[in-house]
Amino acid sequence: MRNIGLILMREYRERVYKKSFIITTILMPLLMILLGAAPTLIMEFVDSETKKITVIDESGIVAPKLTSDEELVFEISDKALPQALVDASQNEDNFGVLHIGKDIVANPNDARLYTSASSSLVLEENIADQIEKVIESERLKAYNIENIDEILEKVKASVHLATFRTDKDEESAASSAVASSLIGMLLGFLLYFILAIYGSMVMQSVIDEKSSRILEVMVSTVKPFEMLMGKILGIAFVAATQILVWGVLLVVFSAVIMPALMPENLIDSVQQIQAGADASALAMQQDVSPEMLTALASVLDTGHIAMVIAMVLLFTIGGFLLYASLYAAIGASVDQAQDAQQLTTIVTMPIIVAFVVIMMIMKDPNSPLVFWCSLIPFTSPIVMVARIPSGIPVWEIATSLVLLYATFVVCVWGAAKIYKIGIFMHGAKPTLRDMWRWLKY
Amino acid sequence: MSNIITAEHITKRFSAHTALDDVSVEIPRGSVYGLLGPNGAGKTTLIRTINRITLPDEGRVLFDGKPITQQDIFRIGYLPEERGLYRKMKVGEQALFLAQLKGLSHHEALIRLKEWFTRFGIEEWWNKKVEDLSKGMAQKIQFIVTVLHKPELLIFDEPFSGFDPINANLLKEEILRLRDEGATVIFSTHNMASVEEICDHITLINKSHNILSGKVDDIRRAHGGNIFSVQYKGDGKALIERISGVCEIIAHEESTTGYSSLKVHIERNEDVRSVVALINDTVEMRQFSETIPSMNDIFIRAVNGTL
Repeated sequence: MRNIGLILMREYRERVYKKSFIITTILMPLLMILLGAAPTLIMEFVDSETKKITVIDESGIVAPKLTSDEELVFEISDKALPQALVDASQNEDNFGVLHIGKDIVANPNDARLYTSASSSLVLEENIADQIEKVIESERLKAYNIENIDEILEKVKASVHLATFRTDKDEESAASSAVASSLIGMLLGFLLYFILAIYGSMVMQSVIDEKSSRILEVMVSTVKPFEMLMGKILGIAFVAATQILVWGVLLVVFSAVIMPALMPENLIDSVQQIQAGADASALAMQQDVSPEMLTALASVLDTGHIAMVIAMVLLFTIGGFLLYASLYAAIGASVDQAQDAQQLTTIVTMPIIVAFVVIMMIMKDPNSPLVFWCSLIPFTSPIVMVARIPSGIPVWEIATSLVLLYATFVVCVWGAAKIYKIGIFMHGAKPTLRDMWRWLKY
Repeated sequence: MSNIITAEHITKRFSAHTALDDVSVEIPRGSVYGLLGPNGAGKTTLIRTINRITLPDEGRVLFDGKPITQQDIFRIGYLPEERGLYRKMKVGEQALFLAQLKGLSHHEALIRLKEWFTRFGIEEWWNKKVEDLSKGMAQKIQFIVTVLHKPELLIFDEPFSGFDPINANLLKEEILRLRDEGATVIFSTHNMASVEEICDHITLINKSHNILSGKVDDIRRAHGGNIFSVQYKGDGKALIERISGVCEIIAHEESTTGYSSLKVHIERNEDVRSVVALINDTVEMRQFSETIPSMNDIFIRAVNGTL
């Protein structure tokens, strides 16, 4: 135990006191926030160009009802089409000419858009939609129904489904499937990167020890199990430190920066939901989907974040430890990092499987496949973490954790055996009998 | 005197060759034991087998009369031939780390390290990074770390390689001092001078076999006879040609300015006169005398298979 502690401390210090570690630890969350906020910021500061379109309406019905917005400005003209086209091509402001046929109501295809540059699909749909609406209302009018506008207004319906958990004793927290899978995916990806970064750190560390020749000294001093366990735990603490710092910084940022970036009335709504208000009602007011609002509410709820971070830490550490022991075994059995390529690919396969399963959580967080993958140790760190936000029974989480950590210890034991033998194995190709002797040695 | 290590019929095969073929050695407690042999003879493999890094294909190793276990490893201090330290760590920090792994408390390790650093006059290295040290410097650090926890058995693989004569001497003194303090020392070398000075026992390994084993004094007495040194002036080539049929040439040093010297082994006493006659006949002989052989002479003759 003492030796494990000593090795742990050495591995930890060697990494954490490095300048590059401190820099990445601080810069990473900043970078993430910036990347996340980039679209909003770009929208804020970059005006999209206004496109002017000359409308020649021979029917005289459509043109007055076309509505201009920030991107698209309609300009009614009574010029003849050829003349309008010539004028438009001379005038740089003019994006194009919309020609509407005389009998547009009877013949809806008689509308043409001439543009000087290629137009976007959005723009075309916008124009087509507007013309469609005009034609539809004209056709309705032809039936001579009284108060037609009023009737239509009353008929309109829009359904937004807001979901609530009722199987919990605590006040029914709003739990939208979208919010859960959103957070789950995010955490899953985070975990994947953690496994990839720190797992290969363990592998590299084993290989480095071989090439720096310190290994022979270490092997004649401590047991391989202690050596590997210390190394894996040391790097686990490095990972935990880094994630903890990232977590704290993210919570701080989400409390300080995110509200500043979002439109103010949206923030009000989010706060109201956190205070227990009805998401769908607010969503109607704000013209955004209620899922979006609940998702935002739970993301911005620091208490919820703290709980999730605790779970994530447990699974991250477990998942890391498990994969790190596999990476360590690879490191022990090769001489150079290049030789490890194929083996690492095999090891990362379950991680990829886990990602496919995460996609299914979106559909149903309790399907059998998802359930089993969240218990099997090689996929559980990612799948279970993605499932947690959708609220699952405690026994499932507990079983998953126990399985994960038990598998880890077995894996380290096996890796230590490979380690011990792989170090000075430049001898004959081992037979099964040899391997049995090694395991007992 | 009991044996601290007994290796019985050790055989170790690697894919291309057999590194050890039925090698047995007995290492008495309290001795300085030299493992000699040319490069690639199997010395390092034997050492790794003794301290359980390599698993032998056949045979077994006894520590204090009992089959060696992982626990016994902590009673051994081992300095490998391929020396390595964590390059990015500071010297003092690293020495403390390794000392604590060997079971010393932080406090005790610090006291002993300071003592050793003072003895070697290297106190100012404490805060240097290992990567800034020269090979010889790093080797000193490793030597200190190996012996710091005062193990019963010390194993040094080629301890003198990489040291200048002054430091090699320092090392010799330290090895003898450790022996006097009660440790058993095994070391491998092909530096014969050091064997004569500090070893009481040797084993000579050549081509995976133990070809000579025993007390240095006994070996000398047994194989010491009939070695003669000659000093002469004249055509060395012609001389060698004429006498190589009757005696074995151990060493030959030709000089164009002064006297050339020659060392020969004459198997049968009856041949001595004829050799003298042959030499006298070919060159201008200045000296012909019997000498006590050095371990180097015995080593060369053993490896040549003429012992």
